[in-house]
Amino acid sequence: MTSELSVPALAVESLVVHFPARHGPPVRAVDGVSFSVAERETLGLVGESGCGKSTVANAVVGLVRPTRGEVRVAGTPIAGATTHTLRAIRAKAQMVFQDLATSLNPRMTVGAAIGEPLLVRGLARGRALEARVAALLSEVGLRPEHASRYPHQFSGGQRQRIVIARALALRPTLLVCDEPVSALDVSVRAQILNLFVELQQSHAMACLFVSHDLAVVRHVCDRVAVMYLGHLVELAPRDALYATPRHPYTRALLAAAPEPDPELQRAKPRVPLQGEIPSPAAPPPGCVFHTRCPMAVARCREEVPIWRPLGETMVACHRAEESPA
Amino acid sequence: MAAALEVSGLTLAIGGVNVVDGVAFSVAPGEVMALVGESGCGKSITALALMQLLPGPVRRTAGRILLEGEDVTSLPERRMRQLRGRRISMIFQEPQAALDPLSPVGAQVSEASGLAGGEAREAVHRMLTEVGIADPLRRIDQYPFELSGGMCQRVMIASALIGRPAVLVADEPTTALDVTIQAQILDLLRRLAAERGTAIVLITHDMGVVADIAERVAVMYAGRIAEIGSTTAVFARPRHPYTALLLAAIPRLADVPKSRLAVIEGSVPQPAEYGPGCRFAGRCPFADAHCAAEPPPLRETEEGHSVACWHTERLA
Repeated sequence: MTSELSVPALAVESLVVHFPARHGPPVRAVDGVSFSVAERETLGLVGESGCGKSTVANAVVGLVRPTRGEVRVAGTPIAGATTHTLRAIRAKAQMVFQDLATSLNPRMTVGAAIGEPLLVRGLARGRALEARVAALLSEVGLRPEHASRYPHQFSGGQRQRIVIARALALRPTLLVCDEPVSALDVSVRAQILNLFVELQQSHAMACLFVSHDLAVVRHVCDRVAVMYLGHLVELAPRDALYATPRHPYTRALLAAAPEPDPELQRAKPRVPLQGEIPSPAAPPPGCVFHTRCPMAVARCREEVPIWRPLGETMVACHRAEESPA
Repeated sequence: MAAALEVSGLTLAIGGVNVVDGVAFSVAPGEVMALVGESGCGKSITALALMQLLPGPVRRTAGRILLEGEDVTSLPERRMRQLRGRRISMIFQEPQAALDPLSPVGAQVSEASGLAGGEAREAVHRMLTEVGIADPLRRIDQYPFELSGGMCQRVMIASALIGRPAVLVADEPTTALDVTIQAQILDLLRRLAAERGTAIVLITHDMGVVADIAERVAVMYAGRIAEIGSTTAVFARPRHPYTALLLAAIPRLADVPKSRLAVIEGSVPQPAEYGPGCRFAGRCPFADAHCAAEPPPLRETEEGHSVACWHTERLA
């Protein structure tokens, strides 16, 4: 997707984020992650809790300082940027969080919340601001008169629409969504996913979509990256990843995700992954997945697999060419 | 076979509003029965009613709960306390929050066994092994904070089942867990139901979990059962518009990506907004004046499959 001529909307290179611990070694939340997101592309980032996916998202918008490595938004590096540049980058890269209860100020009207980024940057005020807020509200499926109400007067799904409208206010080139639909009920989640697909088409916007839900990621993303214990294990175009997963962890995730279809679900081969996710403060040597991998051999315990291309896929596995065990 | 649990006409009220209204279902020994629905549908409060653990403002105004034939709604609390853990047990969504942080996990499992000394320790060891805890002799003396979420859920299942109850009420037992750990716990529950003959009432919002483990399912909406039947029938031929739309609103691995998902307009009504008729009427594409005026009774459309809808034939 990324041509050599165009600058990607987001480039993450050898990103490392370690959090110091009071006792013992640091938590290696992200341990050398590289990927890029092209203009207008949506990249899904999936993995289980503690894999580092939210830390990547936070590092991309500058909420977490990288220990090493580089993050560039539309070509501009975030680390080491001046306050002025950082302000400009933050206008281009906006974030939508999972927790709706804490994403909006309960004492601010919805109109004020959506208009605030425009106001503080001096982009609009008065009537022009009102008109812009009204347009944003309609864009996310709400009504202009909702501007004068407070967050508690809205349902969960409506609040997520408000948060999305606020994120769109500055016309970002990159939207970072951290589990944007995980707190929503099924019927409401469908509304927000439909809205998201509409916005992908109407806005020339790239998106980093962080989620633990493989079916949701498949529904909205063009390419998908799978993370495990601070590392990317696989990154591929959507159809390739779901049809021919190359990493044993990707296969395990797909096998474990329960399908809402009793016949399909019960016909699935049952090979639940054994054991638990190791601590990111003491990751295993060699391949980080070897302690749970059904295909692990001696080499996997000793040698870190390199991140390499295999057809359209990027994968980090010594045995990626082999058929599943 | 006689039902392990039979609930009929269960009605729970807060103030003057029936937040659970005439709920009825039964579960056979060894069977997994799911109560599925979105937030506010009344599934968790139904679970607490089964345990006779309703919080203060909720009152049971009608209905019976037969546990192996005995109506527990009329039992005094003193007697009920003897049944919990021995005839009916419950596990919760957040295992780490449900366990006592100051007590070793072995002691917590042992407390539920009613045994003491070496006999208790042996029983706990056997039970921890049965729920798949590796190295149980070391784990027995550890505290919940030393265990992962999946391991804590296994401990909670062990303490719920050590008294060999006939019924296990599992309220979102895998919702706080990662998908690979969820698969392990669902396999465990399935095996325990089959091997021990435990009847399981599974409370969940996740249609994937229902499809995986439940033999029968009751779809709840705003305090009432909209549809109840075998999981295969309800998923293959949903006869209530809510069930049909809910199933069509879930993105699936076989769908066309970025295609439009079915939408149920609006959101779940608050109890104060419940009208006299069908509680789904405000969001239902088939609703008419009759639906708004009179609640549809649960009627059998085929053997073992019942639906509460005036317009169910439009989905046939």
